[in-house]
Amino acid sequence: MEVKKTDYSKPEYYCNRELSWIAFNNRILGEARDKSLPLFERIKFLSITASNLDEFFMVRVASLKDMVNAGYDKKDIAGMTPTEQLEEVNKATHELVNMQYSTYNRSLLPLLAQNGLMVVEHHEELTKEECDFVDRYFQDNVYPVLTPMAVDSSRPFPLIRNKSLNLGALVSRKEEKGRRHLFNRKPVQGKELEFATVQVPSVIPRIVQLPIAENGTKRVILLEQIIERNMDKLFLNYNIECAFSFRIMRNADFAVEEEAEDLLKEIEKQLKKRQWGQAIRLEVEEGIDNRLLDIIRKELMIDERDIYTIPGPLDLTFFMKMYGFSGFEHLKNKPYTPQIVPELEDGDDIFEKIREKDILLHHPYQTFAPVVDFIKQAARDPQVLAIKQTLYRVSGNSPIISALAQAAENGKQVSVLVELKARFDEENNIVWAKKLEKAGCHVIYGLVGLKTHCKITLVVRREEEGIRRYVHLGTGNYNDATAKLYTDLGILTCNEAIGEDATAVFNMLSGYSEPLGWNHLALAPLWLKDKFLYLIDREKQNAIKKRPARIVAKMNSLCDPDIIKALYKAAAAGVKIQLIVRGICCLRTGIEGINDNIEVRSIVGNFLEHARIFYFENAGNPELYMSSADWMPRNLERRVEILFPVLNPKLKDEVWHVLEVQLADTKKAQFLKSDGSYAKMIVKEEELRSAQEEFCDEYTAMAAGGKKAVQQARTFKPEYNQSL
Amino acid sequence: MAYKTFAAIDVGSYELAMKIYEISSKNGIKEIDHIRYRIELGTDSYFTGKISNDRVDELCRMLSEFTGIMKSYKVDDYKAYGTSAIRETENSLILLEQIKTKTGIKIDVLSNSEQRFLDYKSVASRGREFQNIIEKSTAFIDIGGGSIQISLFDEDSLVTSQNIRPGVLRMREELTRMSYRSYQLEDMVEEMVSDSLESFKEMFVGDKKIQNIILLDDYVSLVLNGSYLGTDKKGQVEASAFVEFVDSLKKKKSREMALSLGIAQENITLLYLSALMIKYMIKILGTDMLWAPGVCLCDGMAYEYAEKNKLLALDSDGVSHNFEQDILDCARDINRRYHSIEHRTREREMTALTIFDYMKKTYNMSKRDRLLLQLAAILSECGRYISLANVGVSSYNIIMMTEIIGLSHVEREIVASIVKYSTENFDYYETLGRETILDRESYLKIAKLTAIIRLSEGLDLSHKGKCNKLKISEEEDKMILTVETNADMTLELGLFDKHSTFFEEVFNIKPVIRQKRVIFKGEY
Repeated sequence: MEVKKTDYSKPEYYCNRELSWIAFNNRILGEARDKSLPLFERIKFLSITASNLDEFFMVRVASLKDMVNAGYDKKDIAGMTPTEQLEEVNKATHELVNMQYSTYNRSLLPLLAQNGLMVVEHHEELTKEECDFVDRYFQDNVYPVLTPMAVDSSRPFPLIRNKSLNLGALVSRKEEKGRRHLFNRKPVQGKELEFATVQVPSVIPRIVQLPIAENGTKRVILLEQIIERNMDKLFLNYNIECAFSFRIMRNADFAVEEEAEDLLKEIEKQLKKRQWGQAIRLEVEEGIDNRLLDIIRKELMIDERDIYTIPGPLDLTFFMKMYGFSGFEHLKNKPYTPQIVPELEDGDDIFEKIREKDILLHHPYQTFAPVVDFIKQAARDPQVLAIKQTLYRVSGNSPIISALAQAAENGKQVSVLVELKARFDEENNIVWAKKLEKAGCHVIYGLVGLKTHCKITLVVRREEEGIRRYVHLGTGNYNDATAKLYTDLGILTCNEAIGEDATAVFNMLSGYSEPLGWNHLALAPLWLKDKFLYLIDREKQNAIKKRPARIVAKMNSLCDPDIIKALYKAAAAGVKIQLIVRGICCLRTGIEGINDNIEVRSIVGNFLEHARIFYFENAGNPELYMSSADWMPRNLERRVEILFPVLNPKLKDEVWHVLEVQLADTKKAQFLKSDGSYAKMIVKEEELRSAQEEFCDEYTAMAAGGKKAVQQARTFKPEYNQSL
Repeated sequence: MAYKTFAAIDVGSYELAMKIYEISSKNGIKEIDHIRYRIELGTDSYFTGKISNDRVDELCRMLSEFTGIMKSYKVDDYKAYGTSAIRETENSLILLEQIKTKTGIKIDVLSNSEQRFLDYKSVASRGREFQNIIEKSTAFIDIGGGSIQISLFDEDSLVTSQNIRPGVLRMREELTRMSYRSYQLEDMVEEMVSDSLESFKEMFVGDKKIQNIILLDDYVSLVLNGSYLGTDKKGQVEASAFVEFVDSLKKKKSREMALSLGIAQENITLLYLSALMIKYMIKILGTDMLWAPGVCLCDGMAYEYAEKNKLLALDSDGVSHNFEQDILDCARDINRRYHSIEHRTREREMTALTIFDYMKKTYNMSKRDRLLLQLAAILSECGRYISLANVGVSSYNIIMMTEIIGLSHVEREIVASIVKYSTENFDYYETLGRETILDRESYLKIAKLTAIIRLSEGLDLSHKGKCNKLKISEEEDKMILTVETNADMTLELGLFDKHSTFFEEVFNIKPVIRQKRVIFKGEY
């Protein structure tokens, strides 16, 4: 019998990754539009959509533009050329922006006003007292830091910084008798318009609170409105004909010359260049004077279609600051305090506890403190010989950095790989790298051609029985600040085989050859993709042999064509595949006969879903893995990533429980439909289950009553016939 | 628990490696870390005779890093050995001094036989597994960058050990200078090793089948110890399955090989060349089974260190293997090759060792010295094959040109010199001048052991096995050698002074020979 071979590479089987990303941002916007959410949570989500969009433009749209400019017309997996993608992205982004501002104007602004927080949109709406207040505020706080710039034949168009908010104005000189042109000394006839601009300073808060009104309403105004009102004070000899705010986005996807002698200096140099990248998006205030717009457009050499006319304040990220306002706690979710880890009580010897058993950490439901303590204790433990760690993104004033520096000062051998190329964190990381070096740590600035994204810490301790290695492996960054917002998992273990692998990882990161063999870890870009393909294929083979076959995978993004193809093949062979993909998903669902068995859901909630967990049924002997990697080509081919198994049966149950709860989410989970859109499941109010809320409750109960109590609550209690 | 942390550094032909071990009587030798860095020193030294300045700088940088790593593990001791790439560098002394100054690491250069012996020790340290295998006829094949060492075992004893060229890195370098098509590669590899291998087979194997191959290399061993071949026992594969595997590689591109085998692409060429050589060896030797224990020189170094410092429990696996016996087997094999008559040397061996054992305490002579003396006694007649008149010089030359596994170059020179001076006039250190590589201590060792062997020679000049038993005692500054025999000792008694003068000069004690007749029961 001839076996029908399916071509799984057909473009119609895939979604374009940029459009899928926009769909993800739309899902976040959906949260901002969700009336069931507290108002301040909604403004936070709106703010997130704005900052996400900025990054998307600086990196993804910039890269598409680069491809178009270079005449590159290779189609993506969804069959779209860069030009086609750019067109579609443009269309979809305009729609997204329209939706953002419709939400802002029609829903959030009125609701804020109703709840006692009035955003004065235009300075013309200020009361007399408020005018006096803002003018004084301008004189005292704003004026000293402004640098107004006018453009004429002797002064070139100034550098408009990336992402900065600016006010552009058309100005004309005040009438002067016998005024002559600067160069040809001919008398100036009539009103000659000149372009002037001033950057809204980022060092001053964008939201300025006005004096409390008599009715108790809190009124605020944005800084650019205060500057606009006082423009005449900046250009004294000019009349301000019109003034509008504008903002540009530049190509920030710079290429670093990695063979450079000093990567640190090279990145510092490139960071400066980021301010000069090609302008790829211009946002202007609605109603902008066409003459003003023309000048800006020409000077920045920006296409008409890249201009976004904004019906409201530009750059909605200010809402994140507003979220922090006190007095509106009733309009926010009840703050969740990350719970203690029952296995690790305060003051415990963390190494002793790890020796007792492997410990699973689930952030932000559980506190990140054990990870910090792990390094802090290692830093002062006389038995510790060495601490090795990878750092991708760290928080400002990171306690981890301080502990590492302390360890080096205490004479430990401290090796830290600081990934200087972590996008948008480069500056921050340079500062830490220098600090660590100064303290005596051995700092590696990443690897040539690869980004080190894995999250691993190794503590080598000389104990009575010999050297023992303690390892922390995680799915999220060593960042105590984001660990309060991102859901991630980590394991603390002193498993000997994992310790050996961890040592090998750091040997490799230090430039030594890879080990002759790995015990448990799989590393990208060397083996990880093949390992995943192997695991998926094993499920396929099991399905063919009618053995139990199932894949449950949770990640941030799925866009690797080889992995998707392997999933399609596995699904076609009968493997049940459940994917929990928060962001981009290039895999399509609902293709008859190809992937009927695949179900994709995305959870966008109060916390950012960030953990990567992979479950393979393996014919009834399930294997569970966690990783720092998504199923994306960049993770599998251009980054150093680690996939680590969950070996301890008890921990396996706990990690499986995480997946189980997520699969049961009916409140925040949105399902990918065959047309590429997402929709929530329709269920009765009382049947709504939110995974994130459940985890909050579970871990709170666990911390209060100990883990045992929770586990007992999770088991079924069989009832027997008492008469027997 | 008391344990020592030891670092073993191998400055190899294409890789610099360091292993950190914890050694204790409770847990044996436990590997803690294995750091490898690819640096092809052999590419330079094999073809230009020198290691380039850039490579030396790179080597020093890495060794300094190794020092840091050793410090971080607080190692108690380390040993660094250089192998063929350093050995074949014209200016190796200067190079080693430079490295010492820059990095603080002292590298000792291993002679080929020492290196192979350590490799061999690393495998033998696997204990029972090794013993079981060498009970059958087995070839121990150690593929290095510069050369290959083949050692033959039969019924638990070492038959011979030979070094043939080229090794895998040298072969790769030679191949890069030729133009050939990919399908010709296998034939070319065969041709490059066939001459030496066929001679080896003819001389030492004959029609006999070599059932097992123990393989020590850096690449094929990885495959055999991985899961690719799906073998039941890690590291072991049937020869036919291995040949099939090598044939399957022919159709694969190097990237494909790297992915499927889990080996870095940069190593694929060396893997393939090694695999082809092994395939050819299997064919030539008629092998049934291949075992790659997956150990390396560093493991041998750790084992040597543990053994020397008595860190291992006596019942620990591996200690049971008698390495000295292997060295002696090797010497006896040389004797066989040169038709040296065994009974002629057997008695000398016995009498020399008896004298040695009597004197060792007083004159502070070691167990190793005893072995050297024994080797000299065994090999003292091998030169007769060349010249009956100049046995000493001929034996010296044979010994110096023959690999004796387990002996350093200096030790080989000591053994050869003892043999030479057992019949030739002794050259005093002062007259040797710059000609010798031997230091003062080695020279004194030669003098002492030569004196002993000359004395033992004097106890049975006609080699008729007259001396069945030797007893030694002391009487007023005289050493009385009582030979229990009923044979006619007139010749020995008459010429004894000639053989004992040197002994007296060296030890300042006069040996006296006495005969004691043996009266058997029933004899009147």
